[in-house]
Amino acid sequence: MLVEKFLNHISNWGKFWFGLIFLGSIFNEILEQFTMLSGSSFLWILAFGSGAMIGLVAKIRGAWL
Amino acid sequence: MKESPEIAAEFSFEKEKVIAKSFSQRFQWEMILIGLGQAAIWLSLWPLVLNGLLDLWAGFLIASLCACFAYLPSHEAQHGNYSRGNPKLRWLDGLVGHITLVTLKFPYHILRITHMKHHAYTNDPEKDPDYANAHNTSVLQVIKNVLDGSTLQFDKYLEVFQNDKAFVNSFHQAIPIALLYKAAPLVLVVIFPFETLLLWWLPAKIGSVYTTVFFSYYPHLGTSAGRYQNTRFWSHWMPRFLNHSMQLHFIHHLHPSIGHYDEPKAIEALKPFLIARKVPGADQIPDKITLNPLIKI
Repeated sequence: MLVEKFLNHISNWGKFWFGLIFLGSIFNEILEQFTMLSGSSFLWILAFGSGAMIGLVAKIRGAWL
Repeated sequence: MKESPEIAAEFSFEKEKVIAKSFSQRFQWEMILIGLGQAAIWLSLWPLVLNGLLDLWAGFLIASLCACFAYLPSHEAQHGNYSRGNPKLRWLDGLVGHITLVTLKFPYHILRITHMKHHAYTNDPEKDPDYANAHNTSVLQVIKNVLDGSTLQFDKYLEVFQNDKAFVNSFHQAIPIALLYKAAPLVLVVIFPFETLLLWWLPAKIGSVYTTVFFSYYPHLGTSAGRYQNTRFWSHWMPRFLNHSMQLHFIHHLHPSIGHYDEPKAIEALKPFLIARKVPGADQIPDKITLNPLIKI
């Protein structure tokens, strides 16, 4: 039952989590390495927030592209 | 198999089968080497890149190449072409099938069962899991759909084949590996962001696009249902060694037990049968399939 709930959650919210964690981490690293903003907490919010937003839009649209 | 009265006795299915069987005996060592080799190379990229011994962009190129070589060894395993019916060697099918797919992040069990259904129901809009790829409007649309992940309608086929116990069991067997392939990049990306992107995620996407375009889209483009009509002979500007000789994929649909590297010789031997059976494009098959007679610019 718990496994089924988990699988359903992954199936429904997978795009959001991918956006938040995967894209967020990539954006964070890009901003850290290629901008003057390194070390700022604003950077972290911007990176992971953008990733989460893209993931959420993809979840709502049902597709990435 | 029921013969059409139009087919001469010399081109009977029985005779075709005997010839095909003679090309279905050899041990597929090249495929095992490619499958395990590319996975080992791909894995070795991680310590090399992380320790600064290899540039990340070079690693990306090598990983992408590995991903393009990853599917076919698993495909031979899906058909049991390593064990060839010997129960003592069945472990080899599973070993190569699983390991080679690490680069592409796909669970072997799911690909195996959906591929078996693709063979059983080729070009059936409801039951062929490859239908959406093979009957897409253009190569660009196929690429978009693969990048999008929308070609993977595994849930749909779980519903279509819900009464097929073997299908459902294999599907459930694959769930832990599928979850691992979803979770592993999400953990790795937090620690090694660019490495995860350029050594695994992007190469896996490139490999999936390559595999879908050349293994699924082109061979079935414009074909219909029926044993001799569901796959075609085609030619391409790309030398055949760069697209895994998928111009010859029709022989695989007719006789899946023929090993990949034995297909050219099998096609030469079976050419009269293929013409008699009106395989799409069969009249254009060269008499000798040597290096690159299939290039069409």
